[in-house]
Amino acid sequence: MDSLVVSNLRQRPLRSVISVIGVALGVALVMLFTGLAHGMSEDLQKRSSNVTAEIIFTRPGAIGFNTSSANLSTKYVELLKTIEGVESVTPVITYFYPSGQFGVDKVDGVEWESFSKMNNIRLIQGHAPNAPDEIVIDETKAARNHPVGSTLKVFGPGLYRVAGIYAPESGARAKMSLKSLQDLLESQDKCTFIYVKVKNPSDQVAVAKRIDAKFPGNKVQFTREVFASIESSIPGLTIFMRVLVGLAAIVSALVVMLAMHTTITERTREIGILKAMGASRFYIISEIEREALLISFLGLIVGFALAALAGFGIHKATGLIFQFGGWWALTAALIGLLGGALGALYPAARAANLDPVTALAYE
Amino acid sequence: MATILKADNLEKIYRVGKVDVPALRGVSLAVQEGEFIAVMGPSGCGKSTMLHLLGGLLTPTKGRIVIDGEDLTAASDAKRTDIRRRKIGFVFQRFNLFPTLTAEGNLRLAERIHGKNGGDDPDRRREILRMLRLQDKMHHKPLELSGGEQQRVALARAVVNRPAIVLADEPTGNLDSENSELVLKMFRELNDRFNQTIIMITHNPEAAAACQRVIQMRDGHIV
Repeated sequence: MDSLVVSNLRQRPLRSVISVIGVALGVALVMLFTGLAHGMSEDLQKRSSNVTAEIIFTRPGAIGFNTSSANLSTKYVELLKTIEGVESVTPVITYFYPSGQFGVDKVDGVEWESFSKMNNIRLIQGHAPNAPDEIVIDETKAARNHPVGSTLKVFGPGLYRVAGIYAPESGARAKMSLKSLQDLLESQDKCTFIYVKVKNPSDQVAVAKRIDAKFPGNKVQFTREVFASIESSIPGLTIFMRVLVGLAAIVSALVVMLAMHTTITERTREIGILKAMGASRFYIISEIEREALLISFLGLIVGFALAALAGFGIHKATGLIFQFGGWWALTAALIGLLGGALGALYPAARAANLDPVTALAYE
Repeated sequence: MATILKADNLEKIYRVGKVDVPALRGVSLAVQEGEFIAVMGPSGCGKSTMLHLLGGLLTPTKGRIVIDGEDLTAASDAKRTDIRRRKIGFVFQRFNLFPTLTAEGNLRLAERIHGKNGGDDPDRRREILRMLRLQDKMHHKPLELSGGEQQRVALARAVVNRPAIVLADEPTGNLDSENSELVLKMFRELNDRFNQTIIMITHNPEAAAACQRVIQMRDGHIV
């Protein structure tokens, strides 16, 4: 294609490639961060939605995004069963521990029979955890080369044996027996919270009120409110992501501005020739903008490909879940294109205002 | 023959720091349609300044220029650009082709800027290239062409949109004698066959001899 725009890019291949990569990095960063946040959020909500209990009974402050404590007495298990409208209850310890892979992970200690029955979870391989060093894991964790019989580092110095694999995913990916976790944490007769399943889901508010009235000083919450999205669980995450998107746009714009500025300086005489040929200001600006948009468009393609590859690679290596949304892809595309177009605007305007005689004499 | 260009009492003063440098000191000129004019004079006499004024690349300090019925001096920058696009073709000493485009690409760019027929008139393009003996060079880039061929491509680019006037600033200045003769021959042929009006700055007496009229300049005046 004998086009000035395409031929200009081909004339300086290294600079064109660097410009494209600059835009691509901005796009890839937006896609990876938003994909990770979205993926983790969706994963958390998927696992949360498989918790069929409607109510969580706990002590105030017992549950945080990545913290918890076992400070609720398990005596409440039997007491809660006496509340009108309650179908079943099951105690859970949720323990967060430092994980080498991505900072923090968690394990649930459960009474497997009541827990699995309440939440419709079944063992698809193996058996429930009984021994202190046995755990059961969900299919996602098992798919990362952890079959039944394998050992896994959870927390503490020892290894845990995978006794079974369960489905569907629900809460922490790894579960051990409540008693084992109580012994490990020296929190006998304690738990973090108690799941309460009501007989009639439309009656859950009334049941919650009854529990609160009977056992004041504790915290009664609905599971749908507790297991919220990551965005609402981490204060400022939305702001962080918007700042990140803004920075990506600035990076793209600056890369393109620098590339176009250098290009125009090198091609000052060509701009003079265009003016001598009668090219209007609008024509000159539009030629430069087209070149910038082409760089941005190529950067977009490379950025999406980079994000997909990086997301796949990181997922394979760490198990982190990426979910690339159409809305964020559109945002990244607009950032790449608008950033490029805006970045080229100043150099384009400068070029259009060059004195033609001076430009023609430029060496 | 109609008057295609009229310049009245043109003056151009350059401000260099705090000093005013007069490049043109009252030049008047009338060019008839189809004339082939040479402008000669020593360096610094104002030839290029006059050419740039006639082409609308500069605005005069005083005076008036009318090209093909359109007043260049009264026009805004955008209007001057428009007049230049429609009515003027430039040929430069240094060819000034776009190095990344082929010969044909350079011509198509001129057509696109002109905006004629959506920027594509292959018949006119082929006719010009054939006349300038460039039909086999259409797909070559400037670096693949000799100096004479490059200047002929530049000439083709200047005339492809049928301008009222071609302004040539020492078109043979960078060519050897053989290529100079060839290019001058092309200018004559354009003038003879298409009645193209040409104003050419030259230091070459042989080039001037090919023209119908020679204008001598000195110290910003026509003598």
